[in-house]
Amino acid sequence: MNYSAATVLLRPLNAFSIVICVGFIAMSTALQAADAVVVELMPSPAAINSSLSRVITNSKGQVYLSWVTREDELATLSYSKFEGDSWTDPAIISSGDNWFNNWADFPSLLVNDDNMAAHWLSMSAEGSYDYDIKVAFYSSRNDSWGKGITIHKDGISAEHGFVAMLPMSEGRTFISWLDGRETAGSGDHITPPRSDPGMPGAMTLRAGIFDRAGGTVSEWELDHRVCDCCQTSAAMSATGPLVVYRDRSDQEIRDIYITRYANGAWTEPMPIHNDGWEIAGCPVNGPAIAARGEQVAVSWFTAKDDAPLVQLVVSTDSGKSFSAPVLVASQTTNGRVGTTILESGDIAVSWMDTEGPDAKIMLTRFSAEGNLLETTQIADSKASRRSGFPIIDSVGNDVYVTWTDVSGAAQVKVARVIYGSSKGE
Amino acid sequence: MMRLNAIQALSTGLWGCNRINKLKIIRSMIVAAGLLGLALAATQLQDSQAAQQSPQNEAKWLIVNYWSEWCAPCRVEIPVLNALNETLSSTNVTIVGVNFDEDPREITLSIAADMGIEFPTLTMDVVAELKLRAPDVLPTTYILSPGREVVAKMIGAQTQESLLAQLAILNLPEEKD
Repeated sequence: MNYSAATVLLRPLNAFSIVICVGFIAMSTALQAADAVVVELMPSPAAINSSLSRVITNSKGQVYLSWVTREDELATLSYSKFEGDSWTDPAIISSGDNWFNNWADFPSLLVNDDNMAAHWLSMSAEGSYDYDIKVAFYSSRNDSWGKGITIHKDGISAEHGFVAMLPMSEGRTFISWLDGRETAGSGDHITPPRSDPGMPGAMTLRAGIFDRAGGTVSEWELDHRVCDCCQTSAAMSATGPLVVYRDRSDQEIRDIYITRYANGAWTEPMPIHNDGWEIAGCPVNGPAIAARGEQVAVSWFTAKDDAPLVQLVVSTDSGKSFSAPVLVASQTTNGRVGTTILESGDIAVSWMDTEGPDAKIMLTRFSAEGNLLETTQIADSKASRRSGFPIIDSVGNDVYVTWTDVSGAAQVKVARVIYGSSKGE
Repeated sequence: MMRLNAIQALSTGLWGCNRINKLKIIRSMIVAAGLLGLALAATQLQDSQAAQQSPQNEAKWLIVNYWSEWCAPCRVEIPVLNALNETLSSTNVTIVGVNFDEDPREITLSIAADMGIEFPTLTMDVVAELKLRAPDVLPTTYILSPGREVVAKMIGAQTQESLLAQLAILNLPEEKD
């Protein structure tokens, strides 16, 4: 068989094809380099036996880490600031031997432009499950932390926790929390229906604004009946504070609700989506909200019909309305979500994936419109409660992630996730 | 053999001491032996409790209840499970608990006592052997066959009626021979 004629014909085509292919490969490589996701494990300022960490950023782009160390009964809340390429020496905020330390409900740090606030939970009565929220405020003038102040003024021994804090102008701090003042003496939260709000029994959602010294400027009850053991989350939108939480209907539907502060009042709580998850129990899996101007993103866990899902909704009108849910993860996820909005407008959602006793900390990036860009594994972890909730925050287009490594002695870890392109489109 | 060598070494070491020091050392050894005995007894007691709490050796159906100290509906459910545990005591079904928070064993038992839990609380090793997916909601109660297959999963606080209804679907319980 004579291939010569065909060979002659194909030769210029081959040469052309090779040039095209090389060109495509070069372009693809360049695009991949631009879009490459780098997960950079940072040194940890927290020693062995540390856990319950949070990464916090402020409007100046500074990055802080808080965590708890435990030695016998004594718990200590510390923090460190990332400067240059290292963490400052850990500084102690407070310590105590009567703290309520819980893998899902744990201390936090807020860094405002010129002041800081931190919270922890303190047992309020021996032999009970009652605890108070203590908040300490940092005085830059004295370079010291004040004593912990009980922010709720009910004086009732009950459960108070699941705090979210936001910086406000003039050094003030917005705080939302779950408040069990109406559950006291009701026989372990055998709660009445919402239609009978006069009766004691339901866990409530409350919020307040506090001045630099911890004085109460304003305080509100935002919802009279909410899920007992899920985190609250708050964000500052263009129009004011937003709070998301797990609601509890008379029919035990525990979907995620939002309330907004607008025109001097809190709006009637509304669902961000009707999952219809009916459970007479505690999911211990609260939502996470982030806002940038009018853009708002909320991720959350739900498991209707015992089918676990992590979902995301986005808003372009400061949380007045939301998109249809976008699926983030399913089947093997156990939730424990985090949400942050990057400078580009992209949205990053952290979540956990489980396989038997093992787990992975995952980070998925979406466009501002909620289109999936990519999913990246941040670290191996454990499904165990001891691994806690990974926490994320961002500066520019970099996402900071912190978690507790429980493969050996517990230790807080922190990583920076660098996205190659500034706009994921 | 190693223990004998250690005793010999200790005895040899004592020869080099004066009488008062010898007495002090012997007294310390007696105290240490006493403490060691107590520790061994405590370990044996713990082992015996663990064995009692291990469901692996018994061909029984298991009701596995996940609880936590901070979970209000769990606390509401505990008396129901305690009562059912007594009702089922002479049947082929047994109730066991799991501390969702995976606290150290000593703390777990202390919490269980504080919560008034009267049925056994599994060790984390035994829980791992059961290969159950940690529940998404508390309380969650599984029913496992004698072959340790999950045959029912009940989410949220249960009542005696709901638990007995679920058992009835499985034709349980049967009286023990």
